[in-house]
Amino acid sequence: MERLIGIITSSEEAVRNTPLDAAIEGMSAVELLAACARLDGFRRETGNLYQRVRALFFLSSIHRYALPACGTIPSFGRIPFHAYEQLLERRFEESISILLDAVRTDGPSEAVSSALAAAYRGLAFQTLADQVRRSVRSIAGNQWMFRCGHAADYPLRLRPELMAQQGGRFPILRETTPVRMDLSHSAWSDIFFLGMDYPEGARVLNISIDLAISGRGEPRPPVEAHLRVIDRPVLRLVSVDLNAQVELSAVSEVFDFARDYLGLLKAAVIASGIVPPGMEGAATPLAAVLERLTGRAGHGIEIVSKVNDIPKGSRLAVSTNLLACLISACMRATSQVASLTGSMDEADRRLVAARAILGEWLGGSGGGWQDSGGVWPGMKLIRGVRAEAGDPEHGVSRGCLLPRHDLLGEDRAPEAAGRLLQDSLVLVHGGMAQDVGPILEMVTEKYLLRSAKEWEARGEAVGILDEVLDRLAKADVRGLGRLTQRNFDSPIQTIIPWAGNHYTQLLIDRAKAEFGERFWGFWMLGGMAGGGMGFLFDPQVKAAAQKRMQEILSETKRALEGGVPFAMEPVVYDFRINPRGSWSEMSGAGDGLMPPAYYVLTAPALLRRESRNLTPAQRADLEQFGARSRGGGEWGVAGSSLIDHLLPEAAAARSVSGTLDEMLEAHGFDRLQHEQIRADMKSGRIGLAQNRLPATARITNVDPGELPEVTGVHGRFVDLGRDALRRGSVAAVSLAGGAGSRWTRGAGVVKALNPFCKMGGRHRSFVEIHLAKSRRASRAYPLAIPHVFTTSYMTQGPFEGTLARENRYGYEGPLRLSPGRSVGLRFVPMARDLRFAWEETQQQVLDVQKQKVLESLRSGLIQWALASGEGTDYRDNLPQQCLHPTGHWFELPNMLRNGVLARLLAERPSLRTLMLHNIDTLGADVDAGLLGFHMDSGAAMTVEVIPRLLDDRGGGLARVDGRIRLVEGMALPDEELEFDLSFYNTGTMWIDIDRMLGVFGLTRAGLGGMAAVDAAVRKVAARMPSYVTIKDVKKRWGRGQEDIFPVAQFEKLWGDMTALPELDCRYVSVPRLRGQQLKDVAQLDGWVRDGSAGYVESLCEWR
Amino acid sequence: MIIDKAVITAAGPAQRTLPLQHLIDRDGQERTVLAILIEEAAKAGMKEVAVVVYPGDEAACAAAAEGTPVKLHFIPQTGGAGYARAVWSAREFTGKEPFLHLVGDHLYVGDEAGACASRLVETATREKCAVSAVQATHEGLLPNYGAVGGQPLAAHTDLYAIERVVEKPTPTLAERSLVVAGLRTGHYLCFFGMHALTPAVMAILDEMLGENSGAAPSFSSALETLAARERYLALQMDARRYDLGASYGLFTAQAALALNGRDRDEVLTRLVQLLSANPARKAGL
Repeated sequence: MERLIGIITSSEEAVRNTPLDAAIEGMSAVELLAACARLDGFRRETGNLYQRVRALFFLSSIHRYALPACGTIPSFGRIPFHAYEQLLERRFEESISILLDAVRTDGPSEAVSSALAAAYRGLAFQTLADQVRRSVRSIAGNQWMFRCGHAADYPLRLRPELMAQQGGRFPILRETTPVRMDLSHSAWSDIFFLGMDYPEGARVLNISIDLAISGRGEPRPPVEAHLRVIDRPVLRLVSVDLNAQVELSAVSEVFDFARDYLGLLKAAVIASGIVPPGMEGAATPLAAVLERLTGRAGHGIEIVSKVNDIPKGSRLAVSTNLLACLISACMRATSQVASLTGSMDEADRRLVAARAILGEWLGGSGGGWQDSGGVWPGMKLIRGVRAEAGDPEHGVSRGCLLPRHDLLGEDRAPEAAGRLLQDSLVLVHGGMAQDVGPILEMVTEKYLLRSAKEWEARGEAVGILDEVLDRLAKADVRGLGRLTQRNFDSPIQTIIPWAGNHYTQLLIDRAKAEFGERFWGFWMLGGMAGGGMGFLFDPQVKAAAQKRMQEILSETKRALEGGVPFAMEPVVYDFRINPRGSWSEMSGAGDGLMPPAYYVLTAPALLRRESRNLTPAQRADLEQFGARSRGGGEWGVAGSSLIDHLLPEAAAARSVSGTLDEMLEAHGFDRLQHEQIRADMKSGRIGLAQNRLPATARITNVDPGELPEVTGVHGRFVDLGRDALRRGSVAAVSLAGGAGSRWTRGAGVVKALNPFCKMGGRHRSFVEIHLAKSRRASRAYPLAIPHVFTTSYMTQGPFEGTLARENRYGYEGPLRLSPGRSVGLRFVPMARDLRFAWEETQQQVLDVQKQKVLESLRSGLIQWALASGEGTDYRDNLPQQCLHPTGHWFELPNMLRNGVLARLLAERPSLRTLMLHNIDTLGADVDAGLLGFHMDSGAAMTVEVIPRLLDDRGGGLARVDGRIRLVEGMALPDEELEFDLSFYNTGTMWIDIDRMLGVFGLTRAGLGGMAAVDAAVRKVAARMPSYVTIKDVKKRWGRGQEDIFPVAQFEKLWGDMTALPELDCRYVSVPRLRGQQLKDVAQLDGWVRDGSAGYVESLCEWR
Repeated sequence: MIIDKAVITAAGPAQRTLPLQHLIDRDGQERTVLAILIEEAAKAGMKEVAVVVYPGDEAACAAAAEGTPVKLHFIPQTGGAGYARAVWSAREFTGKEPFLHLVGDHLYVGDEAGACASRLVETATREKCAVSAVQATHEGLLPNYGAVGGQPLAAHTDLYAIERVVEKPTPTLAERSLVVAGLRTGHYLCFFGMHALTPAVMAILDEMLGENSGAAPSFSSALETLAARERYLALQMDARRYDLGASYGLFTAQAALALNGRDRDEVLTRLVQLLSANPARKAGL
C-alpha cells in the first residue's frame, strides 16, 4: 500500500502520527506526483471523514511545499481560468478535476500546483465545516427546528408565568451569565475539528468569572439578557451596549443578520427555536408565529442584551457567552429548559451549549467548544468524548461534537486555590482586537499534517495541563504561573509563533523587570495574545501590580500604536470566580424594569409620541421608569442621561471636520483635482469598470523564454555590481507611503512599522528587516548604502517617532525619510462601483452561512452609500481615516519635489542607481548580480518579475499592442487575461537616476528649481492613468467595536511608467524567494514553511 | 382484571359546558357529548360511570346523560382545580378497582361506536396492567397533549411499554426523551384522552394530592410515576380523537361523526354544495 495512505489508515498510533515531512523526505517530484495520484484516489473512496480530510491536507501540503522544493518541475504553467472560477465558487471538486486535467495535458508546474494546493486545502476545511454543521443539526433536541417551516406547525409556547399581566405590563425574565477564561487550552484543543478527531488530547481547564473594569464597582456577570412579552405583534430586539434596537415583523428580517448590530440576538432567537431555522425563507408573517408562541393575538416579545463594560476582543468568549445567555433565557421562557429561574441542570446546560454552537454557525462566526463554559459554574475540566454507538458522530469521527464538562470539586480545585488565584491574577485587555480565525486554521492544518515539532509541542501542552491540574489541587498558584508562562513560551509559540507578538513580549519583559521574583508568570487567554491576557503576581504585590500594569499597558501601547493595530485603550479588570453559572430571575409583572440604560436608549422615541398613542404596557413602563429615576442612584443617572439625549447639545468645541480640513491643507490637498475626480466619478467617466484598458487593446503573454533569468552567482554581473557598490553608486528606496490596508484590514496603522515576526531572537518590523538587509549588503564595502523610506501624511509621523525611539535601528548609512507631497480625500463610493466590485468581478464565495451574512452586509453598505450620498466626501471617521495616499506613482517624484534626492546626490555624487521596492517585498535586497545586470543593460529601469502562482493576482507582465509593459490587474479588460500572463510584478525596480530624470525632462543640476520640478512632475503625472479603487476603512466606536466601510479613492501606480515609450525598460525573472510579497497576515505561516522567512533572515545582519 | 367502572372528567372551568353540547351521532340521533361518551363506555362493558363535574353542574350533566344504559354518579370536584385532582375526586367511586377513564372534552370516532374504549379495555384485561390509548401526533401539536416515550412490545405492532410520560412536552424535550422506534420523523405518541388504569394511579394521586403534598402535580406526572412502579402500556389507536375545546373542535367532531355514520352521503352532498357556493377563495388556509 502507498506509504502515505498507510500512515493515514494505520491503527498504530505511532505510525498514524508520522509527520508528512518525514514520510516524503527524499522523494523525487515523479515519486511525489505518483503518491499524489494514489492519495487523490484514496480520498475519493474512503468513507471515513478524517482519513479523507487528512489525505486532502497531505495533498495540499505536497503541492504547496514539497513539489516546488524539489526544483525539478517547471515554475511556469497556465492555471485554467475556469478552475480558478470554480475555486472562488467553492466548487472545489470541480476545480481539482480541471487542474488535474491540466497536469495530464500540459505536465506539472509550480503554478498549477499552487492552485491545486489551494483547492485541496479549501476542500479539506469545507469537509470539516460540513461535518460540524451536520453534527450540530443531528443533535437530539435540535433536529425539529430544521423541520418546522410554518406557523401552523409551530410547537413552542411561552410559559404561563410570563403571560401574567399586571397594569398592562408583563414580567421580565433576566438571565445573567459569567464569561470564561481558560487556564490552559492544551494548544487550541477546543477547536471542534481537533476534539472530534483527537478527543483524548482535547482538554481545557475553564473557569467562569465575573468582571468589572478596575475601579468601577464590584465584579458581576458580564453578560445579561432580558425577555418579556409586549403588547404589540412584533419581535423587538435591543442591544443596550451597542445602542441598537429594531422591531421585526417579517420572518425574513430575523434571518437578515448583518442588516444591523443585532445579528447576535437574531442568531439567539433562531437557535433557541423561537423562530426556528426551518422557517428561513417562509412567507409566514412573524405575527402568526408570535401569536402561537404567546397564545394571544396582537402580542409579541422583547429581548434585550447587555454587556457590562467588557470590550470586544477580550479573549473571554464574551460573544459566545452572550449568545448562550440569550439562548438560555429564550429556552427557559419556552419550557425547553426545565427551570424558569435559578440555575440549570447538566442536560439543559449541554443543550444550551449545543444551541450556542448552532447560533454561532448561523451568525457566520465560530468559537471553540469550550467557549460557552460560562453557562457552567466555577472551575471545570472540559474534555473531548469518544463517539460511541448511538452517537450521531459514531462511525464518522472518533470524537463527539460536544465535550463533557466535569466540575472540579474541593479535592481537585480547593477553595484556597480559587481564592489565591483571585488574589494573584491581574487580568487585562491589552487593547488589540485581532482576528483569531487564521490562527485556528493554521493549528488545524499543522495538527492534521502531524508536523514534527508542532506535534511534539502539542504533547507538551497536554502534559502541561496535567501539571496545571496538579498545581491547582495543591493551591500552588506560583507553580501555576510558571506553567502558564512555559505554556506560552514553548508549546503555544512553537505551534503558532503568531500567537505571541512584540507588544505582549514587551509587557512580559517589563513585568519581569519591575516585579522580579514577584511576577509569577504570563497567561495567554484564548486563541492569541494582545487582547485579554493574565499576569500572575505574588498576592502581596497584586494591588500595586494592578495599578502599575495599567500604566505599563498604556505606555507600551502609546509607543507601538503607529505600527500595531489597537482597537481601544488597554484596561485592567477586577474579577471573581462565578460559583453559579448562568442564572435566571423573574421580576413581578407590576414592578420589573429593564436595565437603566435600556430606557436611555428607548425612551426618547416613546416620549416624542402622543401619550394616547402609546400602548398600555409602554405607558406603564415609562411611569415605572419615571418613578424609579426620581429616586436617585443608577436610575437617577439614567434619568439625567435621558434628559441629555432629549435636549439639544451645544456644538462641540472643535468639530472633527475642522481638524480634517486642517490636515488637508497641511498635506497639499489639490481641491481642483478632487472636484474633477468627483465629477468624473459621478458622471461615470471614471469608475471601477472604467479602469480597464479598451477592449480593443491587444494583450498577450510574454513567454518565459523571452526574459533572462538571474539566479545564483552571475559572473561578470556580480563583479560589475560589486564595483558599483564599492563606488557607492546605489541607494535603496522602500515605498512606505501606503497603509498596507490588507495587513490590518484598514486599521490605519503603518504596516511598515508592524513588528510582525521574530528574527534574530526578537520581533522585527518590515523597516528593521529592510535596514538589516542594506546593512549586510553594505558590509563588504567602504560606503554604506543610503536607504530611503518614502512616507505619506499617514506614515511620516509614526516613522519619525519609531526611528527616533529605536535609534534608527542602528543603521550605519544615510537613512532618510521622503515625506509625501500629495493627499486625497476619500469619497463615499458610487453604488455602481460597489456592485461592480462585489457582483461583476470574481469574488471568493464563503461558506454558506457566512456568505449569507456577507451578502446581507453588502446590501446594507450599498444602502449606506446611497443614503450618505454617492460621490460625496467621506468625512464620518477620524481625519486620518478620511484621507488617502494617492498611489505609489507619486512616491518617487516626491523625492524630487521634497529635495530628498537632491540632498542624497549632493552627499554622494557617485550615486547612479536606485533600487526601488515595495515595503512588503521582504526578499528584495541590493543584490550585486542584479545591480550589475541592470547596469550592463544600460536600461533606464529594470523590473524584477516572478513566475506567477495562483495567489499572484493584480496584473503582470504583458505585451500590450506590441510593447512589453506591466499591466495592473484592474486595467485588464478581461479577468481571464491575467491567467494567460506568465509573470507577476514583484514591484522591485532598478532605476538609472539620470535616465529617469531625463524622462521627467530634468537633470541633476536642475533638481534645485522647485517650480520646474513641480511642473515636470505634473506633466508626467498627467500621462499616467488614475485608477478608482475601493478600500476598506475601519471605523471604531463603542468599546472596541469596529465597522468596516468601503470607500472610493483614486491612485496612480508606478508600474504604468513602463508604458512610456521614452522609458527604456528591461525585465528580469527572479526567484520567488526574492520576489514574494507579504500582504496578508494569513500568509505568514506559509511564508515560514516555504523557506521565505529563512531566506530573508539569511539576507539580514542585525545591529 | 375486570374493568366495569368508568370515570369521565368534565369539571374544567373552561371545558365544563362542552359535554353538554348537542351533536348528531352516527345514527342520526341528536345527543349530548356526555351521552355519546357514556355510551362509548357502556359498549366497552362499563356498568357504572362517574362524571366528575364542576360544583353545581350535577343537574345539567344528569339531564345531558339522561337515557344512558349505565348507573351514573355525579361527583363535584372540590378542594382545588386541575386535571389530576379531577380524577382523584373519583377515588371513592373506583375504590381498589381498575377503571376506564375518558376526558369529557374529547370525542372518539373509529370504525364503529364504542370500538375505541372496547379495544382499550380488552387490551388492559388481557395484559393485566394499565394501558393508555395513544396516537402518533405531529410535533406541532405537542403543546396540546401529554406524550409518552417507550419501547415497542415484542410481537405487537400497536403496543408499547411506557418509560416516560411528559405533559405538553416541548419538541426539544420530545426529541431527546420521547422518540419511539417505528414512528415517522417528528411524530410522537400522544394521549388519546382514554386510559384503562389500575388502582395504583389513585394511590399515587393520594400521595401527590394528599395533605402536605406541596404544589399541584399534573396527571401526566402521576402516570409517569405509575410507569416507574408497574407495567404500563400504550396502545396505539387507528381511530381519531377530536378535541372539542380546540378552535372549530365541535364542528370538526360533528363532521367526523356524520361522515362515519348513517347520513354520510347527505352530509357529503351538503359539504360539496358549500364548497361550490364558496369558490376556493381561501383554499390556501
